[in-house]
Parts: sequence; structure tokens; C-alpha cells
Amino acid sequence: MNESATGSGANIRQINRADRLRAWSRHHRQLFRSTLSTLLNQPGALLITWLVIGIALSLPILLSLALREISEADTRQVIQPAMSVYLSVPSESETAQALLQTLRASSAVGEVRLITEQAALMEFSSLAGFGDVLNAFSENPLPGIIEVVPRERDGAGIKLLAQQIAGQDGVDQVSFDAAWLERLSAILGILERVLYALGVLFSGAVILIIGNTLRLTIENQRGEIEITKLFGGSDSFVQRPFIYRGFWLGFGGALLAFLIIQSSLLYLSDPVERLAQSYRSNFALEALNFGESIGLFALGALLGILGSWVSVWRYLKQIQPK
Amino acid sequence: MLVFDHVSKRYPNGYEALSDVSFSVEAGEFVFLTGPSGAGKSTLLKMINGVERSSRGQVHVAGQNISRLPARKIPGLRQGIGVVFQNHQLLFDRRVYDNVALPLVIAGMKPTEVGRRVRAALSKVGLTGREGDWPETLSGGEQQRVGIARAVVHRPPMLLADEPTGNLDPDLSREIMSLFLQFSQLGVTVLIATHDLELVESMPARRLQLQAGRIQSP
Repeated sequence: MNESATGSGANIRQINRADRLRAWSRHHRQLFRSTLSTLLNQPGALLITWLVIGIALSLPILLSLALREISEADTRQVIQPAMSVYLSVPSESETAQALLQTLRASSAVGEVRLITEQAALMEFSSLAGFGDVLNAFSENPLPGIIEVVPRERDGAGIKLLAQQIAGQDGVDQVSFDAAWLERLSAILGILERVLYALGVLFSGAVILIIGNTLRLTIENQRGEIEITKLFGGSDSFVQRPFIYRGFWLGFGGALLAFLIIQSSLLYLSDPVERLAQSYRSNFALEALNFGESIGLFALGALLGILGSWVSVWRYLKQIQPK
Repeated sequence: MLVFDHVSKRYPNGYEALSDVSFSVEAGEFVFLTGPSGAGKSTLLKMINGVERSSRGQVHVAGQNISRLPARKIPGLRQGIGVVFQNHQLLFDRRVYDNVALPLVIAGMKPTEVGRRVRAALSKVGLTGREGDWPETLSGGEQQRVGIARAVVHRPPMLLADEPTGNLDPDLSREIMSLFLQFSQLGVTVLIATHDLELVESMPARRLQLQAGRIQSP
């Protein structure tokens, strides 16, 4: 079809635009496969590179997953302690019922839950070791409790609400930990920044790892690159296989990161579940969902291409036939 | 096809490899470039495919002024020039097929067309059926012929050869030279640098003689 690619005598190569585009896309399609099979020819070296990239990618992502769970738990009012209002009167008493009504009607209160003396006893005795302690009492020593979840997010507002409730009839004492909440959100704020910094550092590391791996490959293929340029391969033609190598290194690294993350979550799921139960919550570390997994693969591929691009381009330009 | 117009080449260390060289070669001509080693033969060839640039004067290839060619146009120039080296410069981790196919892959040719042309080029140099071999399993002469197949597989209008018979015995050398002669009869401009005077004299071809960077008048 492009038989006329070379004029028989006079002019240097003339290829029309459509042919050139077709050749370009053919080269890309061919490299997509051939670079992977070249890499797979050295499975040991490839696996180590993939592992390094996978570990570097999985660390910040695991951290961010944990952080996300903790902050989401916050909004699910798991770690944010509901106020415990300890009753000075029996929970069946009129005073207690009236208090319950008042709290339910209050606009500052989100959720109200009554834990009767019996319910408290049952819950308490189900905790390991406490059953025997409670048996020592002839009657139930536990007071009734009303759990109040404030609408207010802000520590000072919650404190005010607590003071108001403490003034009501039938209330023995109100307990909540405002300081804990403030500290938690401060810690979360710090962790978030640490995470961003780590994310940037580890991404940089991945770019450098890929760039360095490719540089070594280029050094080994110096002769081939010189010959290719001598026969008219352009800088971008010579660079293209390395872009695809970078892509595969990053993509494979992301695949390993995915496996590392999911198995770490599996490993952590048991203790996390126990922690969650102690907060009467059903929160659990969630695995990466479909969209996030795709995002992870895209990130790996992108870092690979970027790593190849920034480190290889200038280096390849320096290699000229002699 | 090829014009050197008062071309000089001085390297950064002050060494002048070519001094005021002028000549022209017609399309389809077969030219020997002779002279002792160090006379500037290799430098002259490298100026034709843009590996070296002239310090003064101009080099024209197919009407293009190479001395003023921007870097991004160098690949296009080189795609139209086949090159043969003394030490073949084959890729030893690639089979004969892939070595010969290189210029076609660079040109972006379809795989079916590549296969056809590679086989045609190999049969022309007498290596039919050897495309699956590894270069190191071939003899010196065979390796050189693979190098020649690679240089002509994309049917370039011009062919440059730097001491193509340097490592070969006289019989093989004559065989290789007659191959080059065939190409020139097909319209390819052929320029061969060699110091093998005996061989040059046995062939009916024009001679450009270089001596210490200057063209000697015949």
C-alpha cells in the first residue's frame, strides 16, 4: 500500500499523513504487547521491581484507608462518644420518662436511647470477667442510663448541652469526653497532612524507581538505540518502548499494591471488628471498591509513564550515533 | 544527488579532519572513497547522514542542505540512506529477521509487507531461509551480508559503506562489492569508503581520493 514510500531515486522519504498515523498506531499496538513480553522474559527482576513499587504505593493508601475509616466513624458517631446521662431515679419512674420526653423534643439533641438498669446489667455481664463481679452484688448496682447523641459537632456546644441536661430533675451525672473529641480531630488533621506528604514522597519514589530501572535498561541497549537512530529512528520512536515499559512497571506495581492492600485489610479485619463492637458500631475497614481499584491502577500506570518520561527523555537524546 | 561545497570539518580539539572538500555525485553513481586511515573517509560519510556537521561549507543531499537541517528532520534524512559498517553493527540479541527488519519497522511498515521485504533482501544477499538464525551463529561474511540486507531492505536512494570488506578475505570482498555494484545498477547512489586499493582498481568505478582531509586530483 505504501509501496511508494521510497522514491526510487530522487527524493528522500515521503509518506503521507494517513500512512504515518497508521504506522504510528501500529507501533503503539505492537509495543503494548512486545514490551510486556520482553519484561516477562526476566521474571525475577520484574517481580522485584513490581514488589518495590507495590509496597511504595500500598503504604500511603493503607494509611489513607485507615484515616478514612476513622473520620467516617466520626460522622457515624462511633468514636464521638454519645453523652451518657446517669439517672438518679429508676428508669421506669415518671421523672425519668419526663426527662426522656424533654430530651426527645429538644432541637439540640439528635438521638436518644434509654438503657434500663436490666439492659445495662446484661450488657455489662456479657463482657468477659465482669459476670463474676456482678454476682457479688445481691441486687443490680447499675443505674439507668439515657444515651444522648448531640446534634452539635462543636466541643463547646456539646459542653453547654451537657450542663443543661445535668440541671434537669432525675439526673445524677452526665459524662462525656469533649477533650477526646477535640484531640481526635486534631490528630486526624495532623494525620491527614502526614498522609499527603507521604503520598507525595512515595509517588516521587515510584517515579525515581521506574526512571532508574529504565536508565539501566537504556544503558544495556545503547548499541541498539544508536543503530536505530542511524537508520532514521526519531527521538520519540526510540523513547516509545521505554514509555510502555514504564507503563507496565507502574501498572504491575499497582496490581501488587492492590493485592498487598486487600490482604492487609483481611489481616486487620478481625481486631478492627472487635474494636468496633466495643463502640457498639458495625464499622469495618472496607476494601478498595471498584472505582478506587481502577484509580489505583491508573495512578500506577501514570506514575510509570511519568517516571519514564522525566528520566529517560534527556538521557535518550544524549545517545547519538558516532 | 550529493554535493559537497567547500566543506571543512574541524573537531573541538582543533583537529581538522576535512579541509575545503568539494565534489558531487550523480544519482545512481558508484563511487569509491579511498585514502589511508585517518584521511577523513569516515568523517566524510558521517557528514552525509547527519552524524557530523560541517564547520564550514555545505553538504547537499537530494537537494536538501544538510548543514542547515534542523535536528527534527535528521531522522527523515537518515531513513533515505542505507548504512553498512566494517564491524556490521548487528544486534546480537535479535534474530537475523529482526535485524534486517529494523529500517522497515522505523518506517512503520505493515508486518506482512515487512516479512515480504526482509525475505526479498535476504535472498538478494544469498541468505534465503536464514531469517530465524542468531547473528553469532553466522560467519563473518554472512554477518556482513546481513548488514547489507539491512541497509537496502527499505530501498533507500543512497547507500553508504565504511570499510565494508575490512575483515573479509579477497574472494568474499569481491562478492560483496559486486552486490553493491548491482544496487547501483538499480539506481541506488553508492558511496564506499575503503583502503583496499587492489579491490578498487579491479572495479570499473569512479574514485575520490582523500589525503589528510583533502581531495587529491586524480
